[in-house]
Amino acid sequence: MAAVELEGVVKTFGAVRALDGVDLTVEAGEVHGFLGPNGAGKSTAIRVLLGLLKADSGRATLLGGDPWGEAAELHRRIAYVPGDVALWPGLTGGEVIDVLARLRGGLDERRRAETIERFEFDPTKKCRTYSKGNRQKVALIAALASRAELYLLDEPTSGLDPLMEKEFQQAVLELKDEGATVLLSSHILAEAEALSDRISIIRAGQVVQSGSLAELRHLTRTTVIAETARSAAHLAEVDGVHHPRFVGARITFDVDSVHLDAAVQALAPLGVRSLSVHPPTLEELFLRQYGEEATA
Amino acid sequence: MSSPFTGTRHLVRLILRRDRWILPAWIVGLGGTITASALAVPSFYDTPEKVAGYAGAVGTSPVSHLMSGRQAGIDTLGGIVANEISQVAQLGICLMVMFLVVRHTRAEEESGRAELVRSTVVGRHAATLAALLYGVAAALVIGLVTTVSMLAVDLGLLGSVTYGAGLTLLGLCYVAITLVAVQVATSAREALGLAGAAIAVGYLVRGVGAMQDNALVWVSPFGWAQRMDAFGAEQWWPAVPVVLLTAALLGVAGWLTVHRDFAGGVLPARPGRPRASRFLGTPLGLTLRLQRGLLIGWAVGLTALGLLYGAVMPTIPDLVASNPDIAEVIGASPDVEQALTDAFLRYIFLFMAAASCGFVVTSVLRLRAEEESGRAELVLATGVRRTSWMAAAAVVAFAGVLLLTLLMGLGLAVGYAVGTGEWDRVVEHVGGQTSYLPGVLVVAALAVAVVGLWPRRSLLAWAVVAFVVVQVLLGETLRLPSWVDAVSPFSHLPEVPVEDFDPVPGLVELALAAGAVGWGLWAFRRRDVTTP
Repeated sequence: MAAVELEGVVKTFGAVRALDGVDLTVEAGEVHGFLGPNGAGKSTAIRVLLGLLKADSGRATLLGGDPWGEAAELHRRIAYVPGDVALWPGLTGGEVIDVLARLRGGLDERRRAETIERFEFDPTKKCRTYSKGNRQKVALIAALASRAELYLLDEPTSGLDPLMEKEFQQAVLELKDEGATVLLSSHILAEAEALSDRISIIRAGQVVQSGSLAELRHLTRTTVIAETARSAAHLAEVDGVHHPRFVGARITFDVDSVHLDAAVQALAPLGVRSLSVHPPTLEELFLRQYGEEATA
Repeated sequence: MSSPFTGTRHLVRLILRRDRWILPAWIVGLGGTITASALAVPSFYDTPEKVAGYAGAVGTSPVSHLMSGRQAGIDTLGGIVANEISQVAQLGICLMVMFLVVRHTRAEEESGRAELVRSTVVGRHAATLAALLYGVAAALVIGLVTTVSMLAVDLGLLGSVTYGAGLTLLGLCYVAITLVAVQVATSAREALGLAGAAIAVGYLVRGVGAMQDNALVWVSPFGWAQRMDAFGAEQWWPAVPVVLLTAALLGVAGWLTVHRDFAGGVLPARPGRPRASRFLGTPLGLTLRLQRGLLIGWAVGLTALGLLYGAVMPTIPDLVASNPDIAEVIGASPDVEQALTDAFLRYIFLFMAAASCGFVVTSVLRLRAEEESGRAELVLATGVRRTSWMAAAAVVAFAGVLLLTLLMGLGLAVGYAVGTGEWDRVVEHVGGQTSYLPGVLVVAALAVAVVGLWPRRSLLAWAVVAFVVVQVLLGETLRLPSWVDAVSPFSHLPEVPVEDFDPVPGLVELALAAGAVGWGLWAFRRRDVTTP
């Protein structure tokens, strides 16, 4: 059973269509990267899943239940970290962690202690004195310290330093080992690439691509750089080859992943002296998605 | 060239742009109330006999002295107008500058917006100066509106100008006091608390001084402004201490600006508990903890108010004895003292009940602050039901104001007993104060309904408070149409102790309040949570 399902979800704010028919499936036990630039609708989609916003149309399912109608019951089984954490200025970080975990319905003392240590967090300070990164840690620790079936993380690492970012990634992998499901919204692509089993890319309120990283790569182009003994000029004629560039004996071209075999076949008789092939990084996938849409 | 004041002009323009609705709302609301009163009063005192009657009755009344001070020229139309509007005008202008100044200083720092602004080419004192200029300009406009509306009913140039100037100077003084509070406090709320306390102290000290006719009047900016004696023998020298105090306070505010960290207070933050107490694990416990400071502040303030009023109550018979005019007006019977004391008590009960409306609306509207900041989202993403979250806030507001009501009544009784040694009035005072509670609860319930139904119009809840306060303080002056009076929940409650207690209207109002709360909860379950 899928942990999260959105089908054709529409949410408008006045004239703005924040979600314009979003389809999203997160399978139980996977880490699902939810990618998109600022304002694409990531947070709105998550808030619909939390039952904080009511979808205008479409269907949302969270752990098999209705997130609007059964919010409180479902929330006992999930943990949420917003991207911009606001805390009560007069409470200490430690108090907030306890309050949020208890309101969720339980606190794992051992995990609380471990997570506080892992993130090198001082729980005795008043929240008004915490930096953005430290406020983020409060929400992260509160979420990680309670055992949940599903973690909804909305840009959870904004403001964290690289060391803490690494600890966060480790923590997410541990959650996955325990069998939890994670929906990780992010615009830090390296983070999503390192953690995600599957990825959905959202743009202007619609999910434009969804699948495993391998599947997404397959849909796009691989970059090939080769140095050949004989001229490779006719490579430009091969199906699926794009933008061939020639510098001396070296050719650089992009090829649709489905035509990679034909391109390599065409190179082979030319006396290949060096060859490097690299699949698109997630960043290239992402930029291409937006670049193409922008020029279309 | 950059000076400590560089960028002030831009900051003032930014303030004016951001407040393009709020400032006009204050000016129309406060200035309009003053104008309406000034225009209404003269028609009621159109013969010398009526004017003399006012001077005899109100001009010698201890309640009037306590609430409005001793107005010069009370036997002239100008003095009557000034006396009638003084409570709303003086308290109003002080509250206005307090809210406006805190909004553009401490609240800005807290939100982080000020940091963005101050990273640009802006001098160290520019924000303070901009808030000062803005506050002074707002006070000037109110002073001007007051003078013009007094001139409109032919009250005499010198008196009208002197009164408007005194009012403006009072506002100026509290701009400076607020600017110091803003530097000392560690949060906007704390700054509002400190400045609000300074207003209350200034107002009460002047009132007691005027009632007892002693030098206490000269300890308060309210007293200085009033002793410019508009419509009497106008004198401008009391403006000197106002200006000197203002200058000194501005110096202190400037010094503090240099000697504290951005977004910090003068007092350093201490480390707190690493763990939450067991009590904090429920919506009710959390709400109570978050509103603890608010409740304690109001409890201290309103208890002190009760004690003070209780303490001055026994002096009423003496004041009557020394003033045969009062007896003449009301009638020379042995019941005169009792009648006066009852009228005093009834007004005090009503006044304190209206004041406690400020607490309930502040308390209920914390819900909106929680929503807008994103903290509500954090709580509502846990196992807390929306209705529990909102109901917790309603319970804290309702139980809190019940506590405040009991404390005000107890304060009255204790203050009275300390002066007289009579401890047998406790039930009468506490019960009397409580008989006005249903009106306050209606105001609180309307605030809950507004949060549920029209979250982005939550200022409506403050409009209700403003209406109730104006109706209580100025209802008789304005001779509001009876249907307007009828809108106020306090109009339907028996005027204890002048009238006998009757439980029916109070119970009806409690039922209405319960209905409004239910409506608010119902609406909140059906709307989107506001997210930042």
